[in-house]
Amino acid sequence: MMRRLRRLFHKQTAEKQLDAELRYHVEGQTADYVARGMSAEEARRRARMEIGEIEDVKQECREARSMHFLEDLMQDVRYGARMLRRSPGFLAVAVLTLAVGIGANTAIFSVVNAVLLRPLPYPDADRLAIVLVGVGNATRAPASQFQLFQIRQRTKEFEQVGGIWVTNGVIPGDGEPEQVKVGFVTTNFLPLLCARPELGRFFGAEDEAPNAPWGVVISHGVWARRFGSDPSIIGKSIRIGANSAVILGVTPKDFKFIFPSDASVPANVDLFYPVSVDGSDPNGPGYLHLIGRLRPGSNTARAQAEADSISEQIRSLRGSSGASNFRLYIFPFQNDVVREVRRTLLLLFGGVGFVLLISCANVANLLLARATGRLRETTVRTALGASRGRLVRQLLTENALLGCIGGVAALGIGWAALRAILAARPASLANFSGVNLDFKVLAFTFAVAILTSALFGIAPIVASSRLDLTQSLKEAGSTAGRTGRAWNKLLVAAEVALGFVLLVGTGLLMRTFVNVLRVDPGFRAENVFSFQIPSPKYEMLHQLLENLAALPGVRSAAAVSHLPLDSTANWYDHYWKEGAKPEEQNSVMADHRSILPGYFRTIGATLLEGRDFTESDDAAHQHVIIIDDVLAQELWPGEDSIGKKLNVSDSPSGPYQFQRDWAVVVGVVKHIQCHSLTLMVRPQIYVPFQLAPRPMSVLIHTTGIVPNLATSVRAQVVLLDKTIPVSNVGPLSDTVARARSQSRFASLLAASLTAIALLLACVGIYGVLSYSVAQRTGEIGIRMAIGARGADIMKMVFGSSFRPILPGLISGFLLSVALTPLLSDMLFGIKPNDFTNYAENVVAILIVSAIASYLPARRATRVDPLVALRHW
Amino acid sequence: MDKDKKEFLKGTLDMLILKIVAFGPIHGYAISQRMKEISKDFFQVHQGSLYPALHRLEDRGWLEPEWKESETGREAKFYKLTRKGRKQLGNEMESWARMSDAVKTILGAVE
Repeated sequence: MMRRLRRLFHKQTAEKQLDAELRYHVEGQTADYVARGMSAEEARRRARMEIGEIEDVKQECREARSMHFLEDLMQDVRYGARMLRRSPGFLAVAVLTLAVGIGANTAIFSVVNAVLLRPLPYPDADRLAIVLVGVGNATRAPASQFQLFQIRQRTKEFEQVGGIWVTNGVIPGDGEPEQVKVGFVTTNFLPLLCARPELGRFFGAEDEAPNAPWGVVISHGVWARRFGSDPSIIGKSIRIGANSAVILGVTPKDFKFIFPSDASVPANVDLFYPVSVDGSDPNGPGYLHLIGRLRPGSNTARAQAEADSISEQIRSLRGSSGASNFRLYIFPFQNDVVREVRRTLLLLFGGVGFVLLISCANVANLLLARATGRLRETTVRTALGASRGRLVRQLLTENALLGCIGGVAALGIGWAALRAILAARPASLANFSGVNLDFKVLAFTFAVAILTSALFGIAPIVASSRLDLTQSLKEAGSTAGRTGRAWNKLLVAAEVALGFVLLVGTGLLMRTFVNVLRVDPGFRAENVFSFQIPSPKYEMLHQLLENLAALPGVRSAAAVSHLPLDSTANWYDHYWKEGAKPEEQNSVMADHRSILPGYFRTIGATLLEGRDFTESDDAAHQHVIIIDDVLAQELWPGEDSIGKKLNVSDSPSGPYQFQRDWAVVVGVVKHIQCHSLTLMVRPQIYVPFQLAPRPMSVLIHTTGIVPNLATSVRAQVVLLDKTIPVSNVGPLSDTVARARSQSRFASLLAASLTAIALLLACVGIYGVLSYSVAQRTGEIGIRMAIGARGADIMKMVFGSSFRPILPGLISGFLLSVALTPLLSDMLFGIKPNDFTNYAENVVAILIVSAIASYLPARRATRVDPLVALRHW
Repeated sequence: MDKDKKEFLKGTLDMLILKIVAFGPIHGYAISQRMKEISKDFFQVHQGSLYPALHRLEDRGWLEPEWKESETGREAKFYKLTRKGRKQLGNEMESWARMSDAVKTILGAVE
């Protein structure tokens, strides 16, 4: 290779040498002839004649050398560029088709790259694992301090295991009080996910000491927003509630949490409190979301094996959460974070692959048509001595050039498509930053472009290699080669098949979305408006609700600790009925919600039996609860649940001071979908606010749109207590829309892809058919001249266009049957093999094909026999 | 058929050139003279095809060029057989011998 390069650079010398060598020959021969007695002139003439045309010899010598490759390539590129420039229409259509196909791939790949391929932005991200607790009906539960303590005592595979729990709180500082997310973290937690603080330090073992001063870590945002980026903030005291705390550190600006959505750990947490891990209470509540860093050289499989034995030891501990079914699950952190979107993304990636194949088929069709049109050129070049290899190479170069131009255009389309995707992305993708066209994406795009050019280039080349010179010369002006037409049919069939698979998949996703829209979540979000406040006093909250209900346009006001479908840190705990054996006592869990009277009415939930809470349902009276129908059915099937006793978790002595408590069921309400619109995750237990004070969401049901509602709401709160911050003000329907975003995202993207695919397929079928009609003008002319009517011609053209469509449809059907089960997880209310979906899409394909065939067929019937025959 | 014959002759020409160069470094013109002498006009090597052949053999690494003063006192391009070229010549002579044996046998059988 080096030798060849050197030769390329020393071409000048090589030419001179070649010249000298041949001159030496001619002069030597001339001298020889002169020596034999010829005249100088005669001798030179003979010598020249014997060697032949000097230029030809030189060319042959040059060709004898393989360095020709690079020169040929340059020549091919120049020639290719010239040929492409000469047919701008073809160039535009081909480049646009490729750009759409490759661009769609670029966009989806950028997302796949950022979400699935790039490691999470944490130190040693590949060694991070999530630790989940399985108890009874829960498989992804957080751990209790006791469990974390036990894990830490026993693990050898983990370097560190830490936990976090996030709730709402109020941040002190300048200006209006502000509600923020507060993270309770074990002292080793922050260093697991963040290499170093921006200022100060993170928590250490010393902060767990019983007499250690209370220290907090604040976020960069709070530091900038509330403390004016004061560089000497470290060590200063701030008042939090009745206590004062020392600011120990500030997290870096770009630090954020990327957690699985069911962990209720939001991206931005503004205030961190340390939690010491106390292993003394085996029955303490599970609330810590655990992350561990594996030792170098360990892996999740080994950690899982270890976790299995730790679970067994915890199960056997005396007094430990009786759960005979306690288990620990270890998953790689990144896999777990992306588990919800992985399948969607991979399926979309497959979908854009199909679109790309359709673009390839279209360009291949165009090239086939062009190859036939270029037969004369090819033939002339062959006649002039170009070898077949050389011609093929020239075509390949031209295709690669086309692929590259398509690739460049694709970057533009990909960029635009990416903007659109980012605008529509669901919450599960929102935390991933850096979704952009980076170097890896560029490399991917061009690899795809080159691969594509090879793919679409194969058909015309294989087709052309069958062509025979003389045959071609004869055919060039009249009809397309037989091989060419067979390829056309194959490509049309392929387009139909791929288009059909996309249609079927999209149909399923769209129906799923419609079903999600229609699903009854157990509550009504229309005209319900909500905001959050930190743990209020009961009297104040009660007064606030009364005042709000008295506002014009307001029907009712109520409060709940957890809005349905919101990401507020969940509250769920064990429950058991009277007489449960000890091992059954800590085995099943239900969501617990703290509410005020009127909640069910305000949110439009259905009270099936019994009564709502009243003001007198407080700690001083009989402790009461309301359960949902799912729980009632599970505990007392066929019996009346009212009046039955249930052991639940509540905190009558203050927020988060949990205790076990026996309460009487006074009502049964229809299940409210709290975590997902489509899945029943857990049954619910409602506890009166007086038994479980905590931060609340206030709900206001209005008669319609009330102007300036947000302002009047704030005014009402300030009127009662101006230290209480109001946050997350907005309509409940926004929360519901967020819950639908994943399904909306998938169906939106699938629908766009399918629309593109169908358009491309339509253009493809139309192109092939128009071309074949144009090729057959003469034949059609003859048919018309001997008496065929328009309808006959129409039938003939339609017939020939539908011949490849039917096999395409059948292959598409088989492909769909094989592929759609992959969608199962993403579907709701519809099965992959839904008959109506298939039937509709068969009709859709037939309609599209008919539209694509109609124009060319019509043109065929307009053929004037006289004109056609004259030009034949 | 035409093409095959051409290939066959090309192979033969290569072998002859290698054989001539095997006697020692020699320039193109001298090779053409030697060929004329050896073949005694039995078959004519077009001088025009000698040079492409030389360049081809050089490109394959069988011949090595060297510019030096010729007998006339001018700079000329001399060709020298490389080790690879010597091996190639051996192979070609061997297969040629085998083929001519085969031809002889066939001719003998017909006789």
